Amino acid sequence: MPEEPGLDDNAPLFAQVAQRLSEQVAEGQLAEGGRAPSANELAAFHRINPATAAKGLNVLIDEGLLEKRRGLGMFVAPGARKRLLDARREQFAARYVAPMVAEAGRLGMDLDEVVLLVRRSADVALGPRASRKT
Amino acid sequence: MTQTISCHGVARRYGSHLAVDQVSFEVHGPSVTGLLGRNGAGKTTLLRLLAGQELPSAGQVRVLGGDPAGADALARQIVLVREDQAFPDFKVGDALRAAGWSYPRWDHKLADALVSDFDLPSSRQVKKLSRGMRSALGIVIGLAAQAPVTLFDEPYAGLDATARRLFYDRLLADYTEHPRTVVVSTHLIDEIADLLERVLVIDRGHIALDAPADGLRGSATAVSGPAPAVAVFVSGRTTWEHRTVGPLASATVADMLDATDQARARQLHLSVAPLSLQEVLVHATRPDRAHQAERVGS
Amino acid sequence: MRTWLSVARYHLLQRLNYLVLPWAVLAFAFAVNLAIFASLHASGAGTGGSRYYTGSVATIFIFWFIAGLLTTTRSLPFGLALGVTRRTYYLGSVGLGTALAVAYGLGLTLLQVIERASSGWGLNMHFFRVPYILDGPWYLTWLSAFVGLALLYCYAMWFGLVYRRWDLLGLLSFIAVQVVVIGAGALAATWSHGWHSIDHFFTTISAAGLTGVLAGITAALVVGGLSTVRRLTV
Repeated sequence: MPEEPGLDDNAPLFAQVAQRLSEQVAEGQLAEGGRAPSANELAAFHRINPATAAKGLNVLIDEGLLEKRRGLGMFVAPGARKRLLDARREQFAARYVAPMVAEAGRLGMDLDEVVLLVRRSADVALGPRASRKT
Repeated sequence: MTQTISCHGVARRYGSHLAVDQVSFEVHGPSVTGLLGRNGAGKTTLLRLLAGQELPSAGQVRVLGGDPAGADALARQIVLVREDQAFPDFKVGDALRAAGWSYPRWDHKLADALVSDFDLPSSRQVKKLSRGMRSALGIVIGLAAQAPVTLFDEPYAGLDATARRLFYDRLLADYTEHPRTVVVSTHLIDEIADLLERVLVIDRGHIALDAPADGLRGSATAVSGPAPAVAVFVSGRTTWEHRTVGPLASATVADMLDATDQARARQLHLSVAPLSLQEVLVHATRPDRAHQAERVGS
Repeated sequence: MRTWLSVARYHLLQRLNYLVLPWAVLAFAFAVNLAIFASLHASGAGTGGSRYYTGSVATIFIFWFIAGLLTTTRSLPFGLALGVTRRTYYLGSVGLGTALAVAYGLGLTLLQVIERASSGWGLNMHFFRVPYILDGPWYLTWLSAFVGLALLYCYAMWFGLVYRRWDLLGLLSFIAVQVVVIGAGALAATWSHGWHSIDHFFTTISAAGLTGVLAGITAALVVGGLSTVRRLTV
């Protein structure tokens, strides 16, 4: 599996499967109430053992992000997206801000420089109007 | 899950050479188990014992509750694809026909599809096939037999990377559709690592490791960077290896690093990389290792 | 029973060995003999009305021995890989050899009948008739041919198994043991002045009786092979 920020390559395979699926839900690629891939489909796609794929799905079922509907298959639970985004929001500071600040410190940059860079980046990514909100 | 394969104190001696010694383990089906080990470790002998083609010098081999060499009803539930299978003087098509008569669940359609996938010439004499083609023939038989216990002994001899990929894909597809007990012996571990649920490592005739594959992947981490930082990071941890070159050092810790560890590593300017299953197992079977069986609960 | 059939079918995939070559080899021997006899007649030498026996019918028996050997050598590894026990493989192979022996014996008998009817193929050549052994009423010929073929086949099977299990050394020992046993038997016969009885036995026994003895030996050979195959490894 390719490296992405936040994807824990170190984790067991089933955890990686769960993580990837939850990202797809968080980013809206898997719609709430919509069908989620089955264990067999995931296994074929990622070329892994179906039992591993099933374990990954179970992690998400246990967290209430997916639900199994008898006879129909695996579906994304309502409210799953919001819950995932909320969780990511909480981790935002630890995952992105703290390392950024630490690295800035290592490079001897001051806070103003960092904020300027953040604004510039926001201009590009979110559009000029968004960064002027604050 | 039922106990599909079980060995108790199994040994096989050839003259003064003990190919398999005091081997005990259980495989519960349906599952895919990797039988890993170095050349000459005893993988082939063990698989032959499971298939009833070899008879143990000591101990008990039980497959599906019975002696695999004992009864026809049991023998036809087991298929072993051997790297060195000797065939009589007949054609590829004859070999497949014979297999079709012998295995009650033989899937003709799958056999035909696989023959086409691997480009096997049905009318050619088996003895005239290249190494890779013979392996392909073995794979076709092994998969199309649909035997409840399917054993592969290094089935990829002579197959190029593309053909191997084809094998893994077809194995996965068929296993998904018809789950059964599969044991594959290989030393191309990383290629098949993601398909394995369980790993049995055999080293010099003994079981050196018997663990779920999940627990092994990434169970060790390579840490590298400035030597002092590495030393700080690995202190207090089980370390397998520690090498230095000038101001840099690289060490392997027998741990999976969690988020805190990783953050700490970043702070110390260390780069970390989880060991692949193959790397973990190379360590488990290194020549100077003592004979201790590590068994991890599933 | 079903598994024996699949073993038989497996062997029959090698049509050449089991169905074609025995007769091809025999036909060749027959043709050669015929050519020799025809040229003798043509050159005017003739046979003076007496019958000549060639004995070359042995070729099919020799080839059937080879067929038995192949069963437990070349064909065995894959045969055992096809989900049958050693016992089934062995008995299935014996069954095939025996069944074909019945059929081939009948074939030889029919050819003998034709030979008799045609006065030795018009040349007074007796290929399919061997005095005392393949002689007398047709059913005795059939029986003798069948038992002869079956015995050689089973004997060869055992040889093959001994070689597979114990390699060349084992094979040599196997032969040595047989030589010793026969030699010891001969020695015992001489010391006990038993040659008379043995001689008497062989001269008074009928062809049918001899066939019975051979059948008994064949059965013993089958048991011997079975004991060797039990712990054979592939």
